[in-house]
Amino acid sequence: MKITEAFERGEFVVTAEVGPPKGFHIEHMLEEAKTYLSGITAVNVTDNQSSVMRLGSLATCKALKDEGLTPIFQMTCRDRNRIALESDLLSAALFGIENLLLLTGDHTKLGDHPQAKPVFDLDSVSLIHAVKQLESGVDLGGNELVGEPPKFAKGAVVSPCSDSVDVQLAKMERKVAAGAEYFQTQAVYEPEKFIQFMEKAKQFGKPVQLGIVIPKSVGMCRYMNANVAGIHVPEEMIEELKADKEKTKAGITGVEIAARVIKECRPYCQGVHIMAMGWESKVPELLRQAGI
Amino acid sequence: MENYTKYKLKSKDELSSLLDGKDRLFLIACNKCFKEFETVDEPDCEAFEKLALEQGKTVTGSVKVDFLCNKVQTEKKLKGMISEETENVIVISCGLGVQTVAGLADKPVYAAANSLNYRGHHGMALTKKACGACAQCYLNVTGGICPVVDCSKSLLNGQCGGAKNGKCEVDENKDCAWEKIYERLEKQGRLAEFLAQPIQMRDFSKINHKTIQDYVTSIRENRLAGYYGGVHPLEHKEFTEHLALKRFPEPEVVVIPLSMHAGAPANPIVEVGDTVKVGQKIGESAGFISSPVHSSVSGTVTAIEVHKHATRGECLSVVIRSDKKNTLHESVKPHKDLDSLTPDEIVEIVREAGIVGMGGAGFPTSVKLKPPKPIDTVLLNGCECEPYLTADHRVLLEFADDVIFGLKAIVKTVGAQKGIIVIEDNKPDAIELLESKTADIPELEVVTARTKYPQGAEKMLIKRVMKRQVPSGGLPADVGCVVSNISTTKAISDAIQTGMPLVERVVSVTGEHIQNPGNYIVKIGTNTKELIDYCGGITGEDVTVKAGGPMMGFVLTDTNVPIMKGSNGIIAVDTDHTAEQPCIKCGRCVDVCPMELSPLYFAKYADDENWQGMKDKNVMDCLECRCCEYICSSKIPLVTKIKAGKNAVRGMK
Amino acid sequence: MLITELKEKEAILSLADGKKVFIINCHGCREVYFPLEEAEALQKEMESAGHVTGSITTDYICNPENMKLRLEKNMAKIEAADAVLVFSCGVGVQTISEYLEDKPVYAACDTYPQPGFQGVTPLEYDCDQCGECYLNITGGICPITACSKSLVNGQCGGSKNGKCEVDSEMECGWERIYRRLAQIGRLDLLKCPTQVRNFATDQETAE
Repeated sequence: MKITEAFERGEFVVTAEVGPPKGFHIEHMLEEAKTYLSGITAVNVTDNQSSVMRLGSLATCKALKDEGLTPIFQMTCRDRNRIALESDLLSAALFGIENLLLLTGDHTKLGDHPQAKPVFDLDSVSLIHAVKQLESGVDLGGNELVGEPPKFAKGAVVSPCSDSVDVQLAKMERKVAAGAEYFQTQAVYEPEKFIQFMEKAKQFGKPVQLGIVIPKSVGMCRYMNANVAGIHVPEEMIEELKADKEKTKAGITGVEIAARVIKECRPYCQGVHIMAMGWESKVPELLRQAGI
Repeated sequence: MENYTKYKLKSKDELSSLLDGKDRLFLIACNKCFKEFETVDEPDCEAFEKLALEQGKTVTGSVKVDFLCNKVQTEKKLKGMISEETENVIVISCGLGVQTVAGLADKPVYAAANSLNYRGHHGMALTKKACGACAQCYLNVTGGICPVVDCSKSLLNGQCGGAKNGKCEVDENKDCAWEKIYERLEKQGRLAEFLAQPIQMRDFSKINHKTIQDYVTSIRENRLAGYYGGVHPLEHKEFTEHLALKRFPEPEVVVIPLSMHAGAPANPIVEVGDTVKVGQKIGESAGFISSPVHSSVSGTVTAIEVHKHATRGECLSVVIRSDKKNTLHESVKPHKDLDSLTPDEIVEIVREAGIVGMGGAGFPTSVKLKPPKPIDTVLLNGCECEPYLTADHRVLLEFADDVIFGLKAIVKTVGAQKGIIVIEDNKPDAIELLESKTADIPELEVVTARTKYPQGAEKMLIKRVMKRQVPSGGLPADVGCVVSNISTTKAISDAIQTGMPLVERVVSVTGEHIQNPGNYIVKIGTNTKELIDYCGGITGEDVTVKAGGPMMGFVLTDTNVPIMKGSNGIIAVDTDHTAEQPCIKCGRCVDVCPMELSPLYFAKYADDENWQGMKDKNVMDCLECRCCEYICSSKIPLVTKIKAGKNAVRGMK
Repeated sequence: MLITELKEKEAILSLADGKKVFIINCHGCREVYFPLEEAEALQKEMESAGHVTGSITTDYICNPENMKLRLEKNMAKIEAADAVLVFSCGVGVQTISEYLEDKPVYAACDTYPQPGFQGVTPLEYDCDQCGECYLNITGGICPITACSKSLVNGQCGGSKNGKCEVDSEMECGWERIYRRLAQIGRLDLLKCPTQVRNFATDQETAE
């Protein structure tokens, strides 16, 4: 199923993300996904997240699909040139994978193979353009595809709480122009910033899913504030996590915070995207508390 | 010769859509670099202008500039150039030029050309050789043939399966690099070495824009420190900088030229057979810009004849046989103390002592001490920016008190408020000593300058220390400064304190071909060959001997010439064998010229005998510092051509 | 124009291991960058170990005519060496290596790109000669060199506090571009069609 159909039906679309392991044994990951994520619309599979080499996104998507879940194939421009990217898009179509999330990708220098060549032959915008082109039956080189062209739901990302939000909005507009049909956002902890962002973003008329990362600890929040682009956890939230260490450790506080953010933002967006980062088991409780 | 020209106009269609809705255009075109240099204009500007007019656009003006990417010069050239009515600036150049203009103009700037990709052709000579600048040179495993550039796939571990008949699969006219590498290695018997090497993998983390930008920024800061241009040749001061001054033994005979200064030669006032004493005047100043000369020995005048001369070819000289008694002339006696002397009296003492600029130019110091304009600052040039030379350095260390006395005398004479001793940072011992000795003297100050040639040139020194620009054709006095050399200042001190005129000086005898280099106190008129022989003579073959430093010194084809007032050094260095190549318009001479001139035109115009062209390009402002010739990648003897041009321009008047 | 760095000391010494070498230093681009002190120290060490038959310091060895003139008088010392060790950029090494075809010629330096031929003072590294100038849609700031990923359609999500994800010292190129466009009132340029780079220009334009 295409995620865009759910948006069209007016659903508040819930997705969550899983990260493939560094290895090819994914039984545990599949089990967790089945147990905790089968109730949601679709599951994102990251593409060598943070430039750390892992099991491929496409193969993991196929495995999830075989288990009855709806995967979203994340693709970055860091590791493949346009030939490989287009080829993998056709492979995805062969596997019946219909949902894409198209990103530029972190730089190679940030990952575990800093010596690798950063490709960036295409970027997120031109990758969306490439998908749209394939959907029209022609590849980027201008050559016709054989048979019926593939059709995808084309997703993209945006950082609503970025310190350079105007620059992000400009990029979002370019993504829409290139053919992006829905957006997932970077993690949000500041609902008021998100709401302001949505006031501006609604002009593009594309559904936006609020990004959520459940805050696991004070240390994690401090790390994200210092190092992760587009994320800022307000000091009050950090205080909240500090207050009851046991409760925080058990994930109770984090889920409470995340649920509150979702509730506040829900009227302004069309869905939520949860990046659980190993806390997949907390997703059902989070959704319950958020009233979804 | 390959043409590396950097850009070409965008297509007509692209330009038409660029111009859509834009009007009142000002065109800036770069004259292109890295091509065989011709002074004819590039056609791109006209082609674009034609297109713009065809589309009914108004062109508010146009200008062609050399090396548009040279921010410092471009900013000057474009000042006030872009007319008020201009709405859009169109730049025809590579991306560097466009960005330079975009950073300077407050109007929208557009590129009308695409940069051409000559990535890889990094050499200065315009050959086909290319280097991918991959930051991990593989030439050592490939017999000196680059696999990154010469192989279409930049393969590092051997040939792919695509080669056919020795040609590349990407281009059948291109040799397979790996076949060439194989042949080369086989020929050198290095195949086993190749096979045994580990698997090669590129490390792409080594090259990123940030790393390179950081390099570039640090280089830029160094290079533009204090003033535009200049170079930093290898210093080679290690031969003599640590060697204490020694007195050269009394010469048997001295030959004292009557011209060791700018202006008219002195008139001899002794005759053959006369007995003379140390410090006795033997030649009288012959005009306002002239200087007397004195005997450096006591003895007998044996001849007054034309003798070989280091810088003038030959010169009337007084030959004196020393009696080795060093009897002082009765005129040599201390003057009043500094406080009691009037400025005019000091000028007179300096004039009578025959003191001239001892840095080489030999301008009479007494003239300098009566500047036509008010002076606020005296700069003491302790830079000694010429490589090899250490004479001033040693004088600073060993005669610091005399130098300070001399500086005070100059400050008093010209009515300045301040005296600044400028020393380059390669002489930390001198800086420390002078700083401690001037700490309690409020009107004196020591300034440390980053080592850069030609910092000792008056105009550079003033710019570096005072941030003042001496106008074209002007003098330091025009900006309230007087500049003096270290040895000269010491000579002023001697003249006042002991009454001794300028009869000896410190000379560095150095270079990799001098057996025993050293710093010597040498009597004026001493034979250069004797001095060299005293230092153990010249070693090795193929040696060039110069009077002065390697940059501004004069080649001595015959060392049978006397040491003079301006002889700061005698150097014996390797002869450089080069042949002049055509100018490739690399722009390096423009980049290093401290006077911000365009030396490449001087070479071109001198060959064409276009003296008016040279004059228009301000050849008369040239210092002859030789930076352009030093940096020239085509080894063009620029200074010779510039001198010819200056002579011709002088003749035009 | 060229930036060179010394290879690792061990790598260079292993090239000369048990061999006699002749050393050539090229100072042509020294006003740009040359690892002078490191090279001198290493060469002194090699000389004292008795590995060196001779050395010259010259400039612009990429210029074959002058290079030959300068090598000629040293041919005896070069003949006496098993290998020639060149401290220069890759073009210099290749020029020497072609001239001394029968002699192993080794590079002692790695060469970093400085593609803007701008004479001695590279004022800024800000043109990568991509052959399809984007400056008209970016307010005159090059997205190829100003952005770590050379993105041509806008900012990635990695910028934090206006700095690049790759290097927190580096300003985000696309924020600079956005500011410049806002400044000149041309934010509309961001609405231009999707840009797809053409890497084929790499080869074409150099021919």
